[in-house]
Amino acid sequence: MANGGVATAEKVERRAVGPAAAAEAGAGDPSWLRARREEAWALYEAMPMPSTRSEEWRYTDVGRLLDFDGLAVAQAPGGGPGRRSGLASEEALASEEAPVSHVGAATGLPAELRDAMAQDREGAGRVVDVDGCVVLAELDGELARRGVVLASLRDAARQGLEGVESLLATEAVPASDGKFPALNAALWSDGVFLRVPRGVSLDLPVRLARWVSSAGTAAFTRILVVAEEGSRVSFVDEILSPDMDGTALAGTTVEIFARGGAQVQYVSLQRMGRGGAYLAQQRTLAERDATLDTLNVALGGSVGRVDLNARLLGSGANSDMLGLYFGDGDQHFDFNTSQDHVAPNAHSDLLYKGALDGDSRGVFRGIIRVHEGAQQTDAYQTNRNLLMSERAVATSLPNLEIEADDVRCSHGATVGQLDAEALFYLMSRGIGRRRAERLVVLGFLGEVLSRLPMGGVVEKVTKAIEAKLRHG
Amino acid sequence: MNQPEGQMDDSPILSISGLTARVAGEPIDILKGVDLAVRPGETHAIMGPNGSGKSTLAKVLAGHPGYEVTGGSVAFRGQDLLEMEPDERAQTGVFMAFQYPVEIPGVSIANFLRTALQARLADGEELDLFDFQELLVERMELLDMDPAFAERHVNEGFSGGEKKRNEILQMAVLKPTLAVMDETDSGLDIDALKIVAHGVNTLKKEMPGMSVLLITHYQRILDHIAPDAVHVMVGGAIVQSGGPEVALELEAQGYEEYRAVTAG
Repeated sequence: MANGGVATAEKVERRAVGPAAAAEAGAGDPSWLRARREEAWALYEAMPMPSTRSEEWRYTDVGRLLDFDGLAVAQAPGGGPGRRSGLASEEALASEEAPVSHVGAATGLPAELRDAMAQDREGAGRVVDVDGCVVLAELDGELARRGVVLASLRDAARQGLEGVESLLATEAVPASDGKFPALNAALWSDGVFLRVPRGVSLDLPVRLARWVSSAGTAAFTRILVVAEEGSRVSFVDEILSPDMDGTALAGTTVEIFARGGAQVQYVSLQRMGRGGAYLAQQRTLAERDATLDTLNVALGGSVGRVDLNARLLGSGANSDMLGLYFGDGDQHFDFNTSQDHVAPNAHSDLLYKGALDGDSRGVFRGIIRVHEGAQQTDAYQTNRNLLMSERAVATSLPNLEIEADDVRCSHGATVGQLDAEALFYLMSRGIGRRRAERLVVLGFLGEVLSRLPMGGVVEKVTKAIEAKLRHG
Repeated sequence: MNQPEGQMDDSPILSISGLTARVAGEPIDILKGVDLAVRPGETHAIMGPNGSGKSTLAKVLAGHPGYEVTGGSVAFRGQDLLEMEPDERAQTGVFMAFQYPVEIPGVSIANFLRTALQARLADGEELDLFDFQELLVERMELLDMDPAFAERHVNEGFSGGEKKRNEILQMAVLKPTLAVMDETDSGLDIDALKIVAHGVNTLKKEMPGMSVLLITHYQRILDHIAPDAVHVMVGGAIVQSGGPEVALELEAQGYEEYRAVTAG
């Protein structure tokens, strides 16, 4: 493998969310990064915890839902430079030319994570992250020779790989963006750096498999993807955890750059167990004629909040923004999206659909911003919710902010119940009530998946939804 | 009445007696004592003006939750149909072709039918997907349908004719013992009507034991599907029964005569 390395299952050290953790997080980092972390920590401390008095956090009382004092930041064993040196297993090194299709050397991983990885088809590369630490990063050898870089973000920063210092927490998600962007910028322990050179196409996706192991853990991960001019890449980011009695936090910052004419897909599959809290900031920057599509799937965890900002920076840029959530029990999902049309003649199309059962709650708050001068903008936003129980609640807040006069924009939101006539129709063909309900829900959510025909992802998500419907 | 060849058992497959029913929560019965017996292989037409209760009868037979049975009984193959859930009725062999087929967004016809056939199997038994695919293709060929049709989402964006053809396809795959056609002919142009009638006739030829209850406002579908018996329903009850000639008399005279009778 071009970037091989497997950590043994050493005990992960932890620090409370505080200045000590911030200092620890930067141990072994180059000075520019330590300075950036310190600045971010100062910003984090200076900013108040978002409260429900602010419009953006009105329906998610994050201070109440998340007990930050009870969380400890997971750090890599030993902290300092080269913390993973000597940990690369011989097995991983010996498999240098093997296709990246199997879990391979990652045999020390939790069974749930291995199962999820085993379901995947062949990929161009794979990264495994356990409690915020990358334990495996492997890339197809031919792609590595063609200049594709897939690395632990920590290593990439230390090795001074091109693009990391200039693009990490600067243009996309700087610490100054808010309390949680600052927290992540200060405390991130590892993540992924993926750079695809000009004109290089990856036919198979690159996959990140993440695991958060236990309650009380706060894992902070960053993902930085740079697709140079005319390149093509898909990145699938899947996160799992066991069911937990307490809370574990997965903080995730995603920064994606699609340079001119590049085609990028980013897929997030949130499948944490009970007690999981997922807090993500995602920003996509699409330059001239670039296509930058995203899919956010939220099935697991107790609390999920995703802030997604798509910026259309060049003429001809295009972003399809898809979302799918299915809540039951007391799950709480909150999506805060924005489509920023900075350049003229760009296109964005958002479709978020959610099914909510039990006492679950779904919040969608989306805004299309057409900046001054962004003429010939095409921007659409649709949020649809299906309530499967009388106690479930969906809140949908679509919004437009238009400062140009020659644009086509629309937004729509619906909240509906399971259609009794549809259920009767299915039952009249011999299908039992529960199965009929499942079919309606799968069809409803399936519309989202059909818009991102990505082999493997559709099957995996469909299976996960079916499993959840069975146990519901 | 003509008994199809080889039909030995002459006892009714469907026996409705004294059936009364209303819209759930409403104070007044729409069906005011319906009596009807259908034998295996027979086609019965139930004709009546708007508001006569003929569609209510179809929905009550299928078990629509919006209707409440207040009296009488329905025996189907010797079992109490009214005690069964809609899915159990279907599994026992009742099929209702809907007047207004419902859209199921995101669910393909093939997936829908596969699920319906799977539901008939015992727990733990899996429908063989290759067998299913073969059956589906064979059924679509029988009805002169394009196989691509099965990949479309159930009734989503369908024309009126396509919706009705979808009902016939479902009937062909599920092979019911009793098909209740609830105003399948309404809103169809003559070409679509012929296609639907051809489908029903094809299935009747294939399954001579299948009984059909054809609920319609108009005589014209009876030019294409020959009934063994015609019943006229007015005011929630059957007021006249006879052979095909009853439909022709209706065609000539309209429903006015019956209205006068029931009003008087």
